[in-house]
Amino acid sequence: MTALTIRSAGNSHQGSVREHNEDALIVDPKWGLYAVLDGMGGAASGDVAANKARDVIHEYVRARRGAMQPRALLEAAINAASAAVHGEAQRRKDRKGMGTTVVACVIDGRRATVAHVGDSRAYLLRDGHLHRLTNDHTIVAELVARGAIAADEADRHAYKNVLSRNLGAKPQAAVDVSEVELQPGDRLMLCSDGLYGYAPADAVHHLVASTDPPAEVVRDLIEAALRGGGGDNVTAIVVEAGVAVVPRATMVLRTTGAGAWWARRERFLATAHAGGLHKSPLCALLGANEAIAIVAGNFADAVYHDLEKVTGVNVWTYAENLARGWLGQGGAWPPLRDLLDGLARAADQVLAELRREDEGLAGLIELAVARAMVTAETAVGGVLAERLRSLESEMVKVEAQKNEQKRADTARFVDSPTVPYMRAPQPIDVPAPDVAAALESARRRAQTKPSAGSGAGDRALYARAIDHAHTVASATGANDAALAARELWDVRTLDEAGVSPLFDALDHARLAHIEGVRAAPAAPAVRAAALRRVASAYQRLSAGIASLVVESAAPAAEQLREVVRETARLRAEVSKNEARIAELERAFATVVDPAAPEAMSTSPGAATIRDERKPSVPPGSRRRPSKETLR
Amino acid sequence: MMDLDERVAVLRDEVLDIAGGGSEDAPAVAIFDAIVRALAGGMDSAGGLDLTLHDAVARRLAWGDTEETILSDAELVFARLSRACQRALRDPEEEMLVLETGAEVVGAAARIISLAAVGRGGRDRAAALREELAQRRLKEALAEQTRTLARLEGDGRQF
Repeated sequence: MTALTIRSAGNSHQGSVREHNEDALIVDPKWGLYAVLDGMGGAASGDVAANKARDVIHEYVRARRGAMQPRALLEAAINAASAAVHGEAQRRKDRKGMGTTVVACVIDGRRATVAHVGDSRAYLLRDGHLHRLTNDHTIVAELVARGAIAADEADRHAYKNVLSRNLGAKPQAAVDVSEVELQPGDRLMLCSDGLYGYAPADAVHHLVASTDPPAEVVRDLIEAALRGGGGDNVTAIVVEAGVAVVPRATMVLRTTGAGAWWARRERFLATAHAGGLHKSPLCALLGANEAIAIVAGNFADAVYHDLEKVTGVNVWTYAENLARGWLGQGGAWPPLRDLLDGLARAADQVLAELRREDEGLAGLIELAVARAMVTAETAVGGVLAERLRSLESEMVKVEAQKNEQKRADTARFVDSPTVPYMRAPQPIDVPAPDVAAALESARRRAQTKPSAGSGAGDRALYARAIDHAHTVASATGANDAALAARELWDVRTLDEAGVSPLFDALDHARLAHIEGVRAAPAAPAVRAAALRRVASAYQRLSAGIASLVVESAAPAAEQLREVVRETARLRAEVSKNEARIAELERAFATVVDPAAPEAMSTSPGAATIRDERKPSVPPGSRRRPSKETLR
Repeated sequence: MMDLDERVAVLRDEVLDIAGGGSEDAPAVAIFDAIVRALAGGMDSAGGLDLTLHDAVARRLAWGDTEETILSDAELVFARLSRACQRALRDPEEEMLVLETGAEVVGAAARIISLAAVGRGGRDRAAALREELAQRRLKEALAEQTRTLARLEGDGRQF
């Protein structure tokens, strides 16, 4: 059996958040040794632990490579490293509690031996499928293995990132070792949790499965983790066995298109510049390059984020912010429309160029860009609708104010008419004797007329309505109608069954009363004068009752407003508590505690804080808890 | 000889104060039009209710006029119509007919407004009940959160 040709590459990055890189790696093709180590511990001793372990493992393997089998060699090397780190931690107080994870691989001919402690991982790519070779040594994984918790609870568990094993907690480490027979085309990938915790799983798979050289794959893997937030140190090693001849176009491009779009970002910006995007009124306060970088650059980033399905500014947020900002300062709709069209034209041009190179890929990205444009249009439409609603509400307010003003003006008009022959209303005066006689006659006649209602209550109401109307019609005071309406209203339920009978009685009384006036033994002019008083009395009574109904309904509206305010207050309190709980849970999950597996417990209270340093996190970057161990 | 409704219709500007800069779309217009309609005998009525007036009042309420505004406009229209008829109509019988019709229309408007207020009150009470139910759920959630916070803060102090 012939040995395979091995190509390998590895690199490490401190990430976007951490101040130090506590990862370490070994890439030694001469001895076939590859390793990733992820250190932990307070006061910058994480990198000390990782580097110490790295040096011990490297030296141990070089010294004994020819004398030991790979399996035994790796176990012994890792145990030696654990003893060394433990010894260093014991000697110096400021390094107490430091430790490191390790995933190491020795390639001997076709055989790859993989050993690991902690949550650094090894993957094998074979036939396009990415297989994980290691199981994380975390509390949660151990609990799942023991059946203490269900697998689906693991992701939600408070200690999902707490390690159950590491190098340095004890002189001896429990090492898991596995062996793989390599085949031509296989790829091994070793990485720290800063990679798989931040780079999307699909992206990792497709990058490793691409035909790019290992060095480019490592570079792209680290970049993917950084774009995903880069909240931890990132380290990756790719080892390729044999040479697989496949077409140049890579799977990552064919699958998501994100890489291809990213590669053409500069071209897109240049096309947008050539198309005069920076001349849009929306960019009036920006320089040309700045405008292109902000407007077109953010659009390109948003399309990339949507394509890769990673956290970041997406197209919706981008378009909404753009529209809200522009329309909010009184900007017109056409320039915004032109800007969106300009972006679409620039994207079309870039896609046309891409289509000449790879039609399938261009189709894929065209679909994504079209989806992005539709999303942008919808977001802008949402902002427009919001503004229309706001304008409508303003118009209603203006109309109400206008009516209020008009009412005030109209009242003045009554007092001082603009039409010369109209007189201002006179205070209600005592009716002339003949008119008073006609009114009395009408009242008597109406009272003798049977009411339309059948019940005694209806009859009484009818009789009271006639009496009150007569009083108002004969009265001299302006408040008589309001008092009469209140007496008629008496005590009633505020519903249709309570209100309708009152208006029915008023209607019947009015008809009978007017009929009585018409039949009164008086001159037509006197009857007309009497009718003027009676009609006015009924108008004032019905208006007075309606006012009472409106007044009675008002407390319900006021009560509703108060209840809504209270609900809003409770909602705000719930949201605040939610945020507080999330904050506490995050703080809880960043507890660091060098642990011995024997003391492992399911009780959250068993954990001890070892490292309270928290790196500052830039807004918008995604974080996950750092690695921890449980005593 | 013009019909009575036509003679009353020519009083429109005087009654509605349009000559004084009044709005063509005020609640008063709906009231005056309803009176003219009733005089013409063309009321779109169902059980004595002028549906056109009903729609007009409902529209004014939906547009943001308060019930008080509409009642005030109705009162004003009736008062002005009463004075205008006293001057313009020579036959007391005709004046009495207009006044009778006017009283009927403003009475109908008052009834419509009252029922609208009753309906609004019912809706407000139902909405308040829904809000109170929501508050109960929120209070339960708050109690649960308080327990969670106490547990988390207690765990934190152990460290």
